[in-house]
Amino acid sequence: MSFPSLPEEKRQAPEEPTMPYFGSEETVKELKRALSNPNVQADRLRYKNYITKVIRYMTQGLDVSALFMDMVKASATVDIVQKKLVYLYMCTYASDKPDLALLAINTLRKDCADPNPMNISLINMNLLYLHAPNDTLPFICLFFRMPGMTEYIEQPIVAGLRDKASYVRRVAVLGCAKMHSLQPNTEIDGSIVNELYALLRDPDPVVVVNCLRALEEILKDEGGVVINKPIAHHLLNRMKDLDSWAQSEVLTFLLRYRPRSDDELFDILSLLDAFLQSAHAHVAVATLRLFLHLASAHPAVQADALLRTSAPLLATCGAGSRELRFAGLCHVQQVMRSQPGLFGTHYKRFFCGYSEPSYIKFRKMEILVELVNDENVALVLEELRSYCTDVSPELAQAAIAAIGRIARTYSEKCLDILTGLLALKQDHITSAVIQTFRDLVWFCPQSTAAVCQTVEACVDSPQDSEGKQALLWLLGEHGDQISSAPYVMEGYIDGLKTELSSAVKMELLTAAVKMFLCRPAETQDMLGRLLHYCIEEESDMCVRDRALLYYRLLQRGVEETRKVVTGPKSDPSMSVLTGRQEEPISQWASTFNTLGPLSGRDLCLQAAVISATDQPSDSAEKELLPGSKEVLISGPDDTEEEISLSLGPPLSHETFEKMWLDLEILHRQTLGFPRPRTAPDTLQAALQLVKIQTLAFTPGDTVPWKAYIYTRSTGTLILAELLQGDPQPPGSDESLVVSVKQQPVNQHAIKGFVSILKSVLQTLNVDSL
Amino acid sequence: MTSVVATTNKNSNASLVYAFLYKLVEVFTEYFKELEEESIQDNFVVVYELLDELMDFGFPQTTDSKILQEYITQQGNKLEVAKTKVPTTVTNAVSWRSEGIKYKKNEVFIDVIESINVLVNANGSVMSSDIVGCIKLKTMLSGMPELRLGLNDRDKGKTVAMEDVKFHQCVRLSRFESDRTISFIPPDGESELMSYRINTHVKPLIWIESVIEKFSHSRVEIMVKAKGQFKKQSVANNVEIRVPVPSDADSPKFKTSTGHAKYVPEKNLVVWSIKSFPGGKEFLMRAHFGLPSVETDEMEGKPPITVKFEIPYFTVSGIQVRYMKIIEKSGYQALPWVRYITQSGDYQLRTNS
Repeated sequence: MSFPSLPEEKRQAPEEPTMPYFGSEETVKELKRALSNPNVQADRLRYKNYITKVIRYMTQGLDVSALFMDMVKASATVDIVQKKLVYLYMCTYASDKPDLALLAINTLRKDCADPNPMNISLINMNLLYLHAPNDTLPFICLFFRMPGMTEYIEQPIVAGLRDKASYVRRVAVLGCAKMHSLQPNTEIDGSIVNELYALLRDPDPVVVVNCLRALEEILKDEGGVVINKPIAHHLLNRMKDLDSWAQSEVLTFLLRYRPRSDDELFDILSLLDAFLQSAHAHVAVATLRLFLHLASAHPAVQADALLRTSAPLLATCGAGSRELRFAGLCHVQQVMRSQPGLFGTHYKRFFCGYSEPSYIKFRKMEILVELVNDENVALVLEELRSYCTDVSPELAQAAIAAIGRIARTYSEKCLDILTGLLALKQDHITSAVIQTFRDLVWFCPQSTAAVCQTVEACVDSPQDSEGKQALLWLLGEHGDQISSAPYVMEGYIDGLKTELSSAVKMELLTAAVKMFLCRPAETQDMLGRLLHYCIEEESDMCVRDRALLYYRLLQRGVEETRKVVTGPKSDPSMSVLTGRQEEPISQWASTFNTLGPLSGRDLCLQAAVISATDQPSDSAEKELLPGSKEVLISGPDDTEEEISLSLGPPLSHETFEKMWLDLEILHRQTLGFPRPRTAPDTLQAALQLVKIQTLAFTPGDTVPWKAYIYTRSTGTLILAELLQGDPQPPGSDESLVVSVKQQPVNQHAIKGFVSILKSVLQTLNVDSL
Repeated sequence: MTSVVATTNKNSNASLVYAFLYKLVEVFTEYFKELEEESIQDNFVVVYELLDELMDFGFPQTTDSKILQEYITQQGNKLEVAKTKVPTTVTNAVSWRSEGIKYKKNEVFIDVIESINVLVNANGSVMSSDIVGCIKLKTMLSGMPELRLGLNDRDKGKTVAMEDVKFHQCVRLSRFESDRTISFIPPDGESELMSYRINTHVKPLIWIESVIEKFSHSRVEIMVKAKGQFKKQSVANNVEIRVPVPSDADSPKFKTSTGHAKYVPEKNLVVWSIKSFPGGKEFLMRAHFGLPSVETDEMEGKPPITVKFEIPYFTVSGIQVRYMKIIEKSGYQALPWVRYITQSGDYQLRTNS
């Protein structure tokens, strides 16, 4: 593809000094002279070249604000590029020179109203007109910070919404969002919102999507753009006209829509079907996410969608771009949480290329471990074995750990490989192998004999502290099966003075005590020396305390010590947990195709401030009770659905009072922060914003301070009292207590209500600081 | 290294963000050939203009480089009637093609290009192999032509199972779904009409066997045998076999039965080039390097042998164009030209040393 070549003067190396800060005054003066020279002004090309120079200095950090007036003059031109450059300049310096910038606004206003588009056909419409709103908007927006400027910006934007040229409408629609973001505290202009909703029917697909984007921004505080049935169906029908970016975004917006019936649901799914195989990976995964969401009650449909998306997902895992490949791998990992078998036959696609970056190789190894089965285990192990000698120690160790994971199922084959690796006598490899042995013995006790034999034969000892700890653990725990164990341990005890890691010393203490319990004759003497050293000479208090503990324990007698120190030598039940366990799709579907899986964290929790339910404590509970997951998630609606509050008809004081007296307190909680010190109006408005109605509260600084509030949520009415008790000395953390009553009872709603209340009050507290 | 970075304050669609950044790089590269600090500085006016069109308020807008090229040129636009015609494609129903295109001679060039990815492990077993194919068009047709492309993937006895088929947005997907006809109004100039992947076990077209013997502190002996495992009538062109050598190797000596070998010390490689490599033939190369008596402690990786080649007039999958029908309302006659080529993709053979 050939492009017009650069004009000659652009190609030359800039003749200006490369250090922009030196001699800057001289440069600015020179430019000023040139820009005000009528000869230069008459020569369009020369004039523009000087303007380009000014911008180049500006982008290099030189202060060229002294040229403001000359640059404003230069904006009165028919040359679009020159105009754009001048706008860029003005945007940069307008805040420094507000009075001068004001003068420029007239030029801009003229631009917005420039050639009459009615006279020119759409095709011949000139670019100046097309581009004007696009460029002038950001500039005018700067003046927003000054009072009385609203009309300058609103009028051209609103006019732009109704323009004949779709290009202008596209820009104007997003202009509405920009306008809103520059003055976020002003009230939302209902007429603009209505106009934007109407423009969702625009013939131009980009205008349609820009409307969604703009509404989403403008209505951010109210939960974003509303996707009702007509809008959802309209968008679905327009999908094929949209470009891939827009498709992706519309698919995400459609997550908000819940079809009313199964018939409607399946109509929608069949409309979306083609997009599962989109040429653009991001569209395919966005479609899959919507599929999973919509079909949450139809596991067979979900499974079918996953099956059909597996090819594009796999293709992404082999994409030319590393970042996309990484994203693909993360998505595959998510899918595998529910459908571990889906990619089984494609395991070779997850073999690592030599030049791939380690972050990709790590993911691929994690996936390979999951995909192992009887047929492919030999090949997968052979492949992983070759990674064990990688130049990067981290990667090699990860490969060894991966083999260790597979060893829980195929222990014999893996032990051979791991033992072979010890012969390489590489410190980092030996260490990783020993650590893997430790974990393996814990998870599958049947491999203990073989491991002990290998450890016995291994002459090299690990050099890093993790490796040492692992070896010591093995010696202590299985000292009865490793005949040389006391002698190896003695080496560590003799070298104690040079050992730097406290963790190793602690492990050594534990291991020595355990060994003493099974082989007292060989160990007694060295254990005595070890305890003596740790108690008398060790400077690390943790190590010293541990030694004292063991010492006193031993004073109580050997049997007593045995009872305390020895536990089970393995936990085979653990391997069931760590093995594959198919999770329900809903566990991960909500974060699918977001940044969450890439960063390895659940970003959703942070993102939703207002709609946050108390998930962390929820999941903690689940972790405490493994295996009882199914029981806890009794009704999917209970935990999955975010609770939403609504205002409903207002309650009279009498009704509230009567109900308050009748009902029991269902929930009381200390919020952990004082009441917000904001004006009553602000408090009321803020609560209203999250759909909590205020009935009454005590004025100002009255003590105790009280407030009565209420709200509705999914068919239940929630009443609450906020109370702040007696005054405390200034500076103390007097905390607010919330008491909740409800009719009918719905604990989930209370939880949601408290979390919303908490977040809004906390926000107010931050504001008042 | 030039990096392009995006920030987001939402938990956005991850793959979209990456895809957009790559699109950005693609557009810039088409404008400036190389995307690097220098080209950005030299062309900041165009960069600024492009960014302005590519996205607005953080949302992707017009990203098709063909359309952008219609109204952002490196010369900059002057307000002259001829040049400032608004590209109709920005708002057209057929967004990928402008109206009023004229050619004296109406032609369309079809390239069927297949890349072979192969990974062979050190003991000679093929770990993975697949074919990634694409059909590229260079369209020089007037007006708004309707094209129909027929492939042999439905022929009796043929089992070319294409997986993961992706089309340019111009292809009517519904037609393809119903009767597998590929019908479309093509974009002007160069474009990629479709891509596909075939996950069959292909025999590596150029097979390499190597023995690399390293005698510490003295020398490395390398012996490489290359065999063309394709039809005798075909010829692989511009074959390059890249064999890794230790970074501290010196004083190279080569002997080849054909072509010539060259040491590229900055990449720690021996590159054995063979201009023309007929099918069924076997060639040999021997290399000898000295090693210093004092070795560096640094661990070295084991880079694989990589191979580059292209075989014209041949598709490894057997895909062929059966017909290309071109219909335009003005009724002109247009000629389709078809070319086939098979080339190496990610073609790696691991070594033992």
